[in-house]
Amino acid sequence: MAVEKRARRSSLLRGTLPFLLTCWKLNLAGAMEFRLSFLLTAGMMFLNNTIWILFWSIFFSRFPSVAGWELSDIMMLWAISAGGYGWASMLFGNFNRIAYLVAQGELDVYLTQPKPLLLNVLASRMSLMAIGDFLFGLAMYVYIGEHTLGGLLRFLLALFLSGLFFLFFTLAAGSLAFFIGNAEGLAYQLFNSYVMFTTYPSDIFKGFAKTLLFTVFPAGFISFMPIGLLRSWDTGFMVTTAAALLLLVSVALLLFYGGLRRYSSGNRMVMRS
Amino acid sequence: MNVLETKGLAKTFRIKRKEAGLGASIRSLWAPQWIDKQAVGGIDLTVAEGETVAFLGPNGAGKSTTIKMLTGILHPDSGEANVLGYVPWRDRKRLAYRIGTVFGQKSQLWYHLPPIDTFELMSRIYELDRTEFRQRRDSLIERFELAPYLSTPVRRLSLGERMRCEIACSFLHRPALLFLDEPTIGLDAIIKERIRELIAELNREEGTTVFLTSHDAGDIERLCRRAVVIHHGGIMVDGPVERLKRDILRYKTVTIRTPDAAGPELTFDSTGKEHPAALLSLPFGTQRLPSEPALLKLSVDLTVTEVGVVLAELMSRLIILDVTIEDPPMEEVIKTLYERNQEIPVFEEGTPP
Repeated sequence: MAVEKRARRSSLLRGTLPFLLTCWKLNLAGAMEFRLSFLLTAGMMFLNNTIWILFWSIFFSRFPSVAGWELSDIMMLWAISAGGYGWASMLFGNFNRIAYLVAQGELDVYLTQPKPLLLNVLASRMSLMAIGDFLFGLAMYVYIGEHTLGGLLRFLLALFLSGLFFLFFTLAAGSLAFFIGNAEGLAYQLFNSYVMFTTYPSDIFKGFAKTLLFTVFPAGFISFMPIGLLRSWDTGFMVTTAAALLLLVSVALLLFYGGLRRYSSGNRMVMRS
Repeated sequence: MNVLETKGLAKTFRIKRKEAGLGASIRSLWAPQWIDKQAVGGIDLTVAEGETVAFLGPNGAGKSTTIKMLTGILHPDSGEANVLGYVPWRDRKRLAYRIGTVFGQKSQLWYHLPPIDTFELMSRIYELDRTEFRQRRDSLIERFELAPYLSTPVRRLSLGERMRCEIACSFLHRPALLFLDEPTIGLDAIIKERIRELIAELNREEGTTVFLTSHDAGDIERLCRRAVVIHHGGIMVDGPVERLKRDILRYKTVTIRTPDAAGPELTFDSTGKEHPAALLSLPFGTQRLPSEPALLKLSVDLTVTEVGVVLAELMSRLIILDVTIEDPPMEEVIKTLYERNQEIPVFEEGTPP
C-alpha cells in the first residue's frame, strides 16, 4: 500500500528534515504573531545578559585575573553558555518542559504521529527568550571573539556542544517525571543550577565541587570551553568532553524511552501553542 | 477482514492514596500507600473493515485508556492487540501512518496559527506527496466548509469550528481507521449533527473504519451500526446499535415549560400535590419524571408512540412556552443496562455490516 511504502522510505532527508524545517518555520511564525511581545522578550534577555557582563567588567577592573581567567574569557563563556542554550531552545524549545509534558499527560498527540517521538516533542516549541540569548552569544563573539576561520569554527563547535549539554542534561532531569511523577520542581531547580554553573569559570571550583561539575552535574564541560577550546585546542579536554557528551546523551535517551513505558497520559484539556 | 483485534487487553494504574489532612500528608512522605485501580480489565474485541463502532461507557469505564492502548500511547499490563497488522505500542510509528485520531480534549492544531498552517505541518508529518496533499486539503476544506476560518488563528475559532478543522486534519492522510475520543464534547446540537454527518459521509465514501468513544447517545444513533458498552473495565454489551436502540435507547426525554409557576395542571391538583387521577391523563406511552415545579418532564417510549404525537396532544391541552427533546443521559442508559444484565445474559457479539 502507498502508505506503507511511505513509511518504509521515510528517511532523514525525505521525511524528518522537511518535517523539522516546517516545524521550525511554523514555530517562528507563531512567535511573530505577537510582535511586541516577541521583541520585548528577546530584547530583555539580551539586556539581562549584558548587565551580567557589566558586573563582571566591574569585578575585573579590581582583580584583572581570576584563576588565570580574564574578562574576555568570561565574555566568551557567557557567549557560549547563552548562545548554546539559545539555539537549543530555539530549535528544540520543549527540552526544559519535558517534566511538565510527562506529568500533565501531554505526550498523547505526539505519540499518535508517525515521527520520532523525542524529536517531534522537542521541535514543537520555540522559546522567544532564547532568541535574545542566541543573538547575545553571536554579539559577544563579534565583539571579543577570535575573528579567524579557526576561531570562528572553534566558537561554532563550542556553541554546538554547549547546546547539546544543555539539551540532554535537562532532558535527563525532566525524564525523571516518568519515574517520580511530579518532577517539574526538581527538573526546574536542576536546570537553573546548571545554567548558573555554566556561567562561572570552572577553575574557581576545587575538590569535590569540581568533581561534581565534571561528572553528575556536567556544567564544567561548558564552563571550561573558553580555555580548553577557544583559547587553544586542548585535545585531552575535547576527547573527554566528547565522551562525557556521549554518555550524557545515552543516559538521557535511556531515561526518556525507558520511562515512556510508564507514561500514564492524562485527561487535561490541552492545545499546542 | 478485521482491522482491529484485542485479546485480554488490560491496564491497571497505581494510584497514591492519602487520608485527609496535613498529618496524613506528612505520614505519606515516608510511608505512602498505593492502590491499584484497574482501568481496563481484559477486553476481547474484534472490529471489521468499514465498521462504525461506538465504544461506550460512563466516566471512568476505561474507554479512553482502551483507545490510548490501541493507538500506541499507552502500554498495556497484559493482553494482546493487533491494529491493521501492527502491535500498537511496538509499531507505533508504522501504525500512525494508517490511523487517524481525534481527541476531543487534546488538539493537534497550532493554537496561535491559522488551521491552514497545521494542514501544512500534517502533510510533512505524514510525508504526503505535494500534489496529492493539495488536492486532498482542498477537498476537505470544501467538504467541511472551512474556507472562512482557514486564515484565522485557532485561538479565535469557536469550539465547533475548531473541531471541524480538527477532524478534517485527521482525514488528511486518508487513514484506514479513525479513532475519535469524545469528538462532540461541549458542542451545540447543530454542530454535533454536522460533525456526525461528515464522519458518516467519509465512512461511506472512503470505507474508513470508525471507532468512536462517546458519552452522547446521539453520536451512537446517528453514526454507528455497532455498539460496545464497557463498564468497570470490561465489556458489558456488544451488539448492533439497532438492538441497543430498541432495548435501551428507545426513550426520549421531553421537557415542557408552561406559564403556570405552580406547574402544569395536567398532573397537579389545586393543592400543588400530584393527583393520582391526573396521571391517567398523561399522553399514551409517556411517563412523568421528577422535575422543577414549572416544568413537565416526560419520558416518551418510542416503541409505542412518537414525540410528535405526544407534543401535538400536549399543545392542544397546555400553553407551552418552551420544549426540549433529549436523549436520556448515558449514565442512565448504562444503569439500566447494568440492572438488566443482572437478569439477562450479555448480547452476542455483533456481526459486521
